[in-house]
Parts: sequence; C-alpha cells; structure tokens
Amino acid sequence: MEAARFMRRHDWVMILAMLALMATGVLFIYSAAYREGDPSTWMKCGKQIVWGLLGMACFFVFARLDYRRWLTMAWWVYGAGLLLLALVLAPGIGIQNFGARRWLGLWGTPLQFQPSEWMKLATALVLARYLGMPGRNLWRLRATAVCLLVVGLPMVLIVKEPDLGTAMVFVPLLLAGMFVAGIPVRTLATLVGTGALLVIVILGIVWVPEKLGWEETRKEKAARLVGLTAYQRDRLTVFLDSKTDPLGAGWNKAQSQIAVGSGRFWGKGYLKGTQNILGFLPRTVSTTDFIFSVIAEERGFVGSAWILALTAVILVSGLRAARLARDKMGRLLAVGIMTLLFCHVFINIAMTIGLMPITGIPLPLVSYGGSFMIGTLSGLGMVQSVYSRGIYGDEMP
Amino acid sequence: MRTISVEQELQRVSGVAVCMMLALGFLLFVLWRMQIGRGWQYQSSHEQQSVRRIRVPAQRGTIMDRNGERLAENQPCYGIAIYLEELRQAGPRGKVVDRACELIARMAALTGLEPQLARSQIETHLVKRKPLPLVAWRNVGEPAMARLAESSEPLPGVDILVEARRAYPQGALAAHLLGTIGRADAPDTEEDEEARYNYYLPDMEGRGGLEKKYNDRLAGKAGGRLVRVDVSGYRFDDLSVREARRGGDLRLAVDVRIQRLAETLIADTAGAVVVMDPRNGDVLALCSSPAFDPNAFSPAIPAGLWNALRQDPRLPLLNRAVDGAYAPGSTFKPFVALAALQSGKADSHVAFLCPGYFNLGGHQFRCHQSVAHGRVDLVRALEVSCNVFFCQLGLQCGVENIVAWASGAGVGRKTGIELDHESAGLLPDPAWKQKKYREGWWDGDTCNLSIGQGALLVTPLQMAVATAVIANGGLAVRPRLVLGVREPGEAAFREVPPEPANRLNLDSSALDRVREGMRAVIHSPSGTGARALVPGVLMAGKTGTAEYGLKGEHRQHGWMVVFAPFYEPRVVAVMMMDEAVSGGISVGPRLQKLMSGIFALPDLQDGG
Repeated sequence: MEAARFMRRHDWVMILAMLALMATGVLFIYSAAYREGDPSTWMKCGKQIVWGLLGMACFFVFARLDYRRWLTMAWWVYGAGLLLLALVLAPGIGIQNFGARRWLGLWGTPLQFQPSEWMKLATALVLARYLGMPGRNLWRLRATAVCLLVVGLPMVLIVKEPDLGTAMVFVPLLLAGMFVAGIPVRTLATLVGTGALLVIVILGIVWVPEKLGWEETRKEKAARLVGLTAYQRDRLTVFLDSKTDPLGAGWNKAQSQIAVGSGRFWGKGYLKGTQNILGFLPRTVSTTDFIFSVIAEERGFVGSAWILALTAVILVSGLRAARLARDKMGRLLAVGIMTLLFCHVFINIAMTIGLMPITGIPLPLVSYGGSFMIGTLSGLGMVQSVYSRGIYGDEMP
Repeated sequence: MRTISVEQELQRVSGVAVCMMLALGFLLFVLWRMQIGRGWQYQSSHEQQSVRRIRVPAQRGTIMDRNGERLAENQPCYGIAIYLEELRQAGPRGKVVDRACELIARMAALTGLEPQLARSQIETHLVKRKPLPLVAWRNVGEPAMARLAESSEPLPGVDILVEARRAYPQGALAAHLLGTIGRADAPDTEEDEEARYNYYLPDMEGRGGLEKKYNDRLAGKAGGRLVRVDVSGYRFDDLSVREARRGGDLRLAVDVRIQRLAETLIADTAGAVVVMDPRNGDVLALCSSPAFDPNAFSPAIPAGLWNALRQDPRLPLLNRAVDGAYAPGSTFKPFVALAALQSGKADSHVAFLCPGYFNLGGHQFRCHQSVAHGRVDLVRALEVSCNVFFCQLGLQCGVENIVAWASGAGVGRKTGIELDHESAGLLPDPAWKQKKYREGWWDGDTCNLSIGQGALLVTPLQMAVATAVIANGGLAVRPRLVLGVREPGEAAFREVPPEPANRLNLDSSALDRVREGMRAVIHSPSGTGARALVPGVLMAGKTGTAEYGLKGEHRQHGWMVVFAPFYEPRVVAVMMMDEAVSGGISVGPRLQKLMSGIFALPDLQDGG
C-alpha cells in the first residue's frame, strides 16, 4: 500500500524526464572527461552519480514535506542566504577558484558549496511569500519596490563575487513572479523598458570605446562608471565581437560554436567528439558549463533536440503543478523555480552557441557539479510538493 | 484593493509556459541552422585547426649501367627519433624540452653517440614542427643501433626511423655523368599545390649530371600524410596516408667495366675519355679526371669540402669530356683530308713535298721537330702527321669547305647529349673572325685550322662523334646516355629510341683513303700512334698535340682518337690529357691499355 501511495503522489512524467537528463549528463561527462587509461574519468562519473543520488534523495524529501513549511520560514532562509553570501565575499572565508570568489568550505570536510545556489531558492521562496500573501495590494508601487529590493540585494552580492551569469537569473525570476502574481502589466513594462535601456547603455559603454579604439586605461575608466570589472568587460567585448581576441576570452566561444556546428545531424559519435578529445574545448569547462557542446558535437542536432525536449517536458510539468496549486504562494513558488530552471537552460545553451556572452552557468541536471545538482533537485522537489498537494489537498494519499 | 482573479493567474501561468516554449523553440531553430545549415562551415574550420598536411618525399629511382650494375641507388639509413607527444607534460614547453634533453643524454650514454641537438634546436622543433618526430641522430651505425635495441631501459617515445639515403655504390665512378643531389628548397609561391603542406619534408633533387637532367623521372611523386593534432599541436593520430610514388629507374648505355678501366687509366692526370659505339651513339664510358665522390653530397655536402672542390685549380667539378673545349691538334687533320677530297679540291693522289717547314707570309709552319718528310701523299701525311702537307692541302681546299665538312661531322656544335652544361667548342671561320677581331681571314688562319690549331676548340665528346662519322661511314650520331627507363612496377625497361642522326653524303673512295691513313697511324711502325697497337685488333686512329696556356710554358694537351675494329667499327675511343709530351707518346700507351681491355671483354671480343 505504501508503495502504491508513493507512486500516486508523484508526477512520474517529470521524474522520468529528470532522470533521463541526469543519465545523459553522466554519459557525456564520461565522454568529456575521457582520456585513455585515466582513472579520473570514472572518478568524475562516480561523483556525479553520487550527487545525483543525493539530489534525488533531497527531491523526495522536499516532495514529501509540505512546501508551506518553507514558505513560513522564507524570510529566515533568505536572511541566512544573505549572510552566507556576505561570508563568501569576506576575505579569508570564501574560497576563490578561477578568479571568482563563489564557494564556501564546509567545516572539517573537503566539500565546498555555492551559497548562490541557496540564494536562488531562498529568493524564490521570499518572492512567493511576499507576492502571494492574501490581501497584499500589488497595485501600490510599494510592492514593486519591495520585490526589487528583495531581488536586488542578493544580485548585487553575487555580481560582486563575480558571477554575472547567476545574477542574471534573478531578473526573469522577479519578472515571472510579479507577472503571475498580478502586478499591473504597465508597471512591468516600465521596469523591463528601464532595464533594457540600462543594458543598452552598458553594452554601449563597452562597445563604443572598443570601436573608437580608445586606450586601455580610458576604456577601463568608462566601464568602471557602470560598475563592470575588467573581466566582465572582456567577456562582453568578446560577445559583441568574437574576433577581437580569438585566442583569449573568445576561444571558448569560438571552439564551442565549432563543436556544436561540426556535430551536424547525427553527431560524430559517442567518445568521438574531436573538439573535446583534442582539447580545443578546454577540459576545465567541457564537463561543466560546456557539456552541451560535447553532446551537440557527439550526438549532433538529435542530441541537442533531446536535451531541449526533456527540458520542455520538465518545464511543462512544473508549470502544470503551478496551475494545480491550491494557494497563490505555492503557485508563485512553482513558477519561480521553473523560471530559474528555464533561465539556466536557456542561458547555458545560448552562450554555448554564441547567442549570449559567456557567463559560466551550468546546464541543470546535466553539468558536472554537486551544489547545483542538489540545489536544482531540491527546488524540483518543492515543485513536486506543490503538485501533490495541489491534487490531493491536505488529505495526502 | 485590486487583485487579479485565480482565473487570470492561471492564464498568466500558461502565458509564462508559452513564452518558455517559444524560447526553447527559438534555441532549436538556431541549433538547426548551426548544425544542419552551416554545419559544414564549422566542420571545415574544425578541420583547419586540427588537421595538418605533411609531405612525404618519394624515393628516387635507381640508375644502373647497361648490364644492370647499380650506379646510384637508395640505401636505408637508420635514425633515432623521439615522438614528442609521448613526452608531453602539463605546464610550460620547457619541461618537454627538458625531458627530451634528458632522454637524448640517456641514449647517448647507452649508444656512445655524441648528442647532436642543441637545446635551442629542440625548442625550435617544438615551435615549428611539433607534430613531426624529432630526429635525434641521423645515419646511425649498426653497433649503436644494436646497443639501443638490446637495452632493457624503457625509452618512452623513442623509435627507429628509417630514411632513404642516396648512395653511389661505385664511389667516384662516373661521378660527372651521374651528377649529384641536394635537398630541394620548399616552394614558396602560394599558388603551388605543394605549398599547401603544413610541414614540408623536402625531396632530394638532382643538382648536376643525369640526376638533374632526369630529375623529373627519377624523383617520383611525393606522398602526403594527414595528421590530427590536439590543441597543443602534438600529433594525436594519423588520419590518412597517400603513399609516395617511387621514381623511375634509368638504364644507361655506360658499361661499368669500360668506365672503370678508362678512369684508372687517366686517374693520375687531368683529362677525359669518351668511349662510344659509332653505330648508335651509345656512350660506353665517359670520364673526366680528376673526379669527386658524389656520396659526399648525400644528404648534404659539408661546406668545407664544397669550397675545396670549387676552388681546386684542377677543376674536379668540370666535366672535361663534355664541357671542356680544347684545341684538337692533329686529330683534326682527317677532317681536313675528308673535306678536300669530298669537295673535289683534291683527288686521292694528292701529294706535297715536305721540307720540314712551310713559309707563308712572314710565318713559318713546321713539322714536328722540323723533320723533313719528303714527298708525302695523303695516307703518309696522316701516318706521320705532316703539318706541311696539311697546310698546303687546307689552302688548296679553302676554309669554307673545311668548315662545312667539319661542322657536318659535328665539330663546333653541341652534340645534344643528355647533360646540361655542354660546351659547343669553336669552329672559326671568316665571319667569326670578322666579328670577333674585326679582321680579315688570312691564309695563315687556314693553315692553323688545317693542323687543328689557332682558335679551333673541340670537346672530347665532339671528337668522338666526329671520329664516329669516319668510322660508320657518314652518320653524325647523337650520343646517347640513357638506354631505357622503367616506371615503378614495370618489370622491363622501355627503350629510349636513339635520336635520328644526321647523315653526311660521303664518297666511299674518299672515306677509304682517310681510313687507310688512320690505320697507318697505328699499324705502321712509323705511325705516330704505333704505341696504341693492340695485337689482334685492327684499329685506325689519329694522335694530336696542342699547346695551351701561356706561350713558353710548353704545356700541351695530348690527344688520341681511335676506332675499332677497322672493318666493322663497334668502338670509338677518344682520350685527351693535360700535361702531355705528345699524343702518341703520352696518350698512345694508355689508349692501348684501354682498347686491349675493351676487346678482352668476353662480349666484345673478336677484334676483326
């Protein structure tokens, strides 16, 4: 009986799509890390499987627990997240890898985790709670201001790390939440318009001096005006014109595009993606941020479509859960979490194929990495919780 | 307070879902365009960055003599190579260089060879030719190879490299004929197909002699290898190989036995020998002394040796037989006799009185040692090489006739032998003198020409062709060096047809008269060439002596031309040497050895 109840409680279409994505991830992490006679290939796969299992455990735990419990604790979770983010930035505590300070060590273990993962879920919770609170007047500007503040604070901290990609994810989260909650479309349009104007100004400040051929120090000063570091300016310049630096920052973008494009329809075959094997796609990123390039190269358009289809299945099931939700907070939570997932997939693939600047964000459920896997699956677990409670109410089978 | 209804909320959720699906659809569309539409572009840029073309040189064909004896061939030459991709290390390039240096040092201790590569050379190799193996030693001897093969020490990335080296198994034999080779320069023009190689392993190209003249045939067609390299430029795997096509083989008319004999006969002096078949122009031997060893040029000649060869006053690099032009002296007289008889200016009974000297204007032409020959006819005049007779015969015949007939026999003209750098010699005539000295032609000039002196210059090969005209009855053959060519895979040589020869219309009685005189040169006891007499072989010939160098130095070229057997001549031989006492004394005995050697060969016996 217990087993039958377990089966009925869950949305198995979504779970199967998740498992398929995770299996694809393990398979291609093996391919990306593959080097003949190198035992670390198996090590990576093994770790990813362990993380996947841990993540699934979290998924089922969060699915079993009532999401409303988290919503009531939302502000505490959010506050703790902010504290952790502040700790990351504190010198001597945060751990710096590849020039970015994004990690915190867990005391007494070699494990590290990214507080920004925590923060994404925490922000989704707080937004859902604030916007979903019965009796909240969303037509007052105050509501919009609070939302902007709630999202803006962690964004600023994450931009400081710097992790522009992750920070970018918060914008759609905010917009989707506000839109579904019922903030007037006019307000939203004003916000989007202002934001777009800001982006254009920033890009302009990077692009115009580049075109005019200013000296390095002057370009630096101009970028500093809008709060961009040299590293971020570089990435943006490369995005705007990848020919500026084909061997430096433009390398990953160009090689990733070559990998995807040369995959053609069926791909070069498993373990035969030469861009990856020959090291043109750097090994440091081929299992993480650029795992999609490896899949697209070795399995071609078919592989790309497979990833997009599975993502679509998860997104549709998640939004279906949002529609089924019996309370507004649950609905907003599901929408927020699905928006986060969508943003990750979209930004990751778009940067792989050169539509967006290289920002270094992973592909959910597929990329190699622990914190992100566990974070994503925990979030999906909450959506699952919204789903089962939406169907069965408080009389859970 | 205004809120939206649940209905509206659900609509907005659906709206979000639709937006997300549209966005994913947009990604799918872009991916389709990238992977299907423009996929080939990315594929080619992928190949461009990861595939390298390496040119693989072809083996040169072999050159052999008429009996199949090898004159130029390829010998395997062992080298020790290091495959750097197996030494690669993470980190800076210097570490790979360190490991390569260390490996070379270990192998040096093992084999006893001196390390030949400097650190900087290894670095250059890593920068410029990374996918190619690094050759630590070339041309390694067998003992060192054996020590390396037997060592139990693990030597990562080390392999034995077999290369072909051009070798001339007969040493300096026929060096001028065969020529030399050198490393060809890579083409630098962009249009050239060859220039598309990323790594150009050069061929050896002919630099002289037949190696140069027949380079296209000998060189074969280079092959290529496609190698995939990884992001650091190390060889990752081999994609495909187009085998190089070996060059064709040449079979020469030269007979190594005759060539070797001829070379030993003039080894102690500077000179040249040409042995030719008068019937078809086959060059049986063609040598020039002093010579050099073409093996020294393969694969590259040391600069010191090259300079020494170039600056040697004895001119070892000059092919005297083809490119050296000398006054022929009395060996020219038979052609004056032929010209006089053929043009009808003299009949076969022509005779002059020789008092030992002949005065013309203020100048006196003397016979050798001013001996008075008395009344001499044509046969006697050739036999004793009477200058007085030929001065008068020449004047009677006229310079135009001498020039016409001598030129017809090939004097003063390139023979067309298959070698670059052939001298045309010089057959002077009034027009030439007018042009060169702005002076008229005097009778003295005709006298000088008649006795093979003055401005007249011939090459030993020309003399062989001209002598062959007398021997074969009027055929000015074109000397032929290559009898046949064989493409790789073919079993037999395809014959190279002899070039059509220019036939002179010679009167047989005139020819008999000249031949008779030439026979007397050798077979009469008083003949100037009596020292060349070979028992059992009926020969005809003519000696010659010509001064060269500054007046008063008394340096003389000695000449002798012969053909044999007298009645059906199969061999024409010409020998010329510097520092001779006279043709008869210095050259005669050597030619005697040559001819007796030739007719002692089992397949050339029967001196008739």
